[in-house]
Amino acid sequence: MPDLGTTSGGVAPRHIQRTGLGLQALAGLALVALPVGLLGTLILWPTVRMVTATFLIDGNLSSDRYFAFFNDTYTMANLRYTLEMGLVSALAALALSFGIALYLRFSAGRIATLIHGLSLFPLFVPSIIISYALVRFLGPNGLFQLLLEQVGFTHYRTPYLTPVGPFLAFVWENIPLPVLVLSAGLSQVSDHAVEAARDLGAKAPRILFEILLPQMRRSLLIAFALIFMGIIGAFTVPYMLGPPAPEMMSVFMQRTLGNLHDPEAAQVQAVVLMVISSIVGGFYIATMVKSSEVVR
Amino acid sequence: MLSRRQFLATSAAAATLVSTRVSAADIKTLQVYIDGDTNISDWWNNILKPAFEAANPGHTFNVTITRGVADGNRTIAERALAALEAKADPQVDYFEEIEPAAVAGSVEAGLWLETSEANVANLKMINPAAIQTPIRMPYRGSQVLIAYDSAKVANPPKTFAELVAWAKANPGRFTYGRPDKGGSGSNFVIRAIHEGNGKDPAAFTKDNFDAAKAEEMLQNGWAILKDLHPFTFGEGTYPAGNTPALQLLAQGAVDMIPAWSDQALQGIKTGVLPETVKVVQLQDLALCGGFAYSAIPSNATDLEGALALANFMLSPETQTSCVRDIGGFPGISWDNLPADLKAEYIDVIPVSIPTFPSGDWQTAKNDGWYKNVATNIVRD
Repeated sequence: MPDLGTTSGGVAPRHIQRTGLGLQALAGLALVALPVGLLGTLILWPTVRMVTATFLIDGNLSSDRYFAFFNDTYTMANLRYTLEMGLVSALAALALSFGIALYLRFSAGRIATLIHGLSLFPLFVPSIIISYALVRFLGPNGLFQLLLEQVGFTHYRTPYLTPVGPFLAFVWENIPLPVLVLSAGLSQVSDHAVEAARDLGAKAPRILFEILLPQMRRSLLIAFALIFMGIIGAFTVPYMLGPPAPEMMSVFMQRTLGNLHDPEAAQVQAVVLMVISSIVGGFYIATMVKSSEVVR
Repeated sequence: MLSRRQFLATSAAAATLVSTRVSAADIKTLQVYIDGDTNISDWWNNILKPAFEAANPGHTFNVTITRGVADGNRTIAERALAALEAKADPQVDYFEEIEPAAVAGSVEAGLWLETSEANVANLKMINPAAIQTPIRMPYRGSQVLIAYDSAKVANPPKTFAELVAWAKANPGRFTYGRPDKGGSGSNFVIRAIHEGNGKDPAAFTKDNFDAAKAEEMLQNGWAILKDLHPFTFGEGTYPAGNTPALQLLAQGAVDMIPAWSDQALQGIKTGVLPETVKVVQLQDLALCGGFAYSAIPSNATDLEGALALANFMLSPETQTSCVRDIGGFPGISWDNLPADLKAEYIDVIPVSIPTFPSGDWQTAKNDGWYKNVATNIVRD
């Protein structure tokens, strides 16, 4: 913070500069006051209340509800399934979008523009539409199966209502965001570095692993954190496309609250999921802070 | 003599007065809440609304759909209960479907308006198969049937045992929905539980729930369903609701499912289901069904309008529409409906409608199904 003043140029006398900064800082605080206040009253405060409530049984402090959660095999199977789904889908989406971002970084022209547009398209499609579309396309006797049968392949087994269903939808849904993040990251890798490596005879894999990937670590982490958190909290896709059991935590939570009328258990499930999200979110914030320090 | 300008000004003012009076005072809008499936909310909006407006000039209603939002109409009833305590506007005049007893404390607090022939004349025609209480009015019914594609199934099963035998002989061609996601799957699971407990629906009552005994009784049902599990579509990938199950039947992915009578009949009529789809009821013990009960909150701002709506809903005209347009059973007895209508639907008119208690039994059934049947857990 202290060396911010020097960047605004040394022409103005010092005392004027200081008052200017004070006003600026005040204006800045005033600007963030509203969102921070909203965040506090609408998100943080209810969260604190809810977390406290999960530890209170008839007014006494107790962690029994958490014991029940971690000792129930069915619940743990749901949690494991949720994390696995998040991990596998996020990695797959990341790999695909890294490929797309790489292509876009080093190509130009109409096809590149078209691919760029296509890769961002899922951003504008709500997940309920994706889910319905996949039911019709990949479902039993859906278009995909009919096409396969036209070319003589008759052993198609639909991924609808199996874990593969939500996996495909998650990958589809989560391509645009990492493409944006990774494209931004790749644009910071200088052409000179790549060209210099090429001149020295480095092949594509070597450029990828020794020039691009090390510089992309941060962008990859950020993209991973964003989509992983989105997936483990997703509801529509696993509800519509997934198997009955194991259930993803959001679907399980809704059923616990709405069908089993057990709000306390649902809150515990929410807290556990929130803690996991916060850990990943922590990575995200740490990475962001580091990268902004580097820029400075 | 009025000048032209004065004339224009006065008539404009008069017109404003008249128009506001017509729109604000003469048309009363009732707030109706529905958490049923699309067929029900569409029926209310597209068919009942114009008919109600024509029959009751100056009255109309606005439908709010609460399907799948929080706890549906129960949440709205809880809000109305809070409004009753706070003496505020409940913002609801009519619940298309609600179980007053399921809204904790509402009956004791007097949230529900008592209805009888005195304030809703058509209640005198009520269907004897429905259970009417002073605070809820049965107005449409449906029952789960077995829907099958007659092009693929020549001899539809007549008993539960025959159904299981058919499913095992035709692996992957039968499925049912998850019990918590829709009544068709739920009532099939209940039928299996009945099968495992001497086909006696009376063994399950609202007051006889006991966790240990229930576990034992439900296990008899789980055994049957676990046995059926590998032979269902996708070896146990039960669709998530009434509509997804019907979709599988419509796409030809399965040949037989349990389905709500109204949804199946309406689907066949509108061409959503192939015309070869037929419905049949099991003869040894029917699948469950029941009536939808409407109720009026006693603190509704337009009680008079709500009572008029209740009477309209139970009129022979609306009830005929219930049978013709949504394939439902009438809430009033068949004797009050046209004779040809009865003849047309004779096959699906229920002789008996078994029921299963709500509350603890439902919860134990739904959660038990997930933990015993859907997970593929082999318990030894």
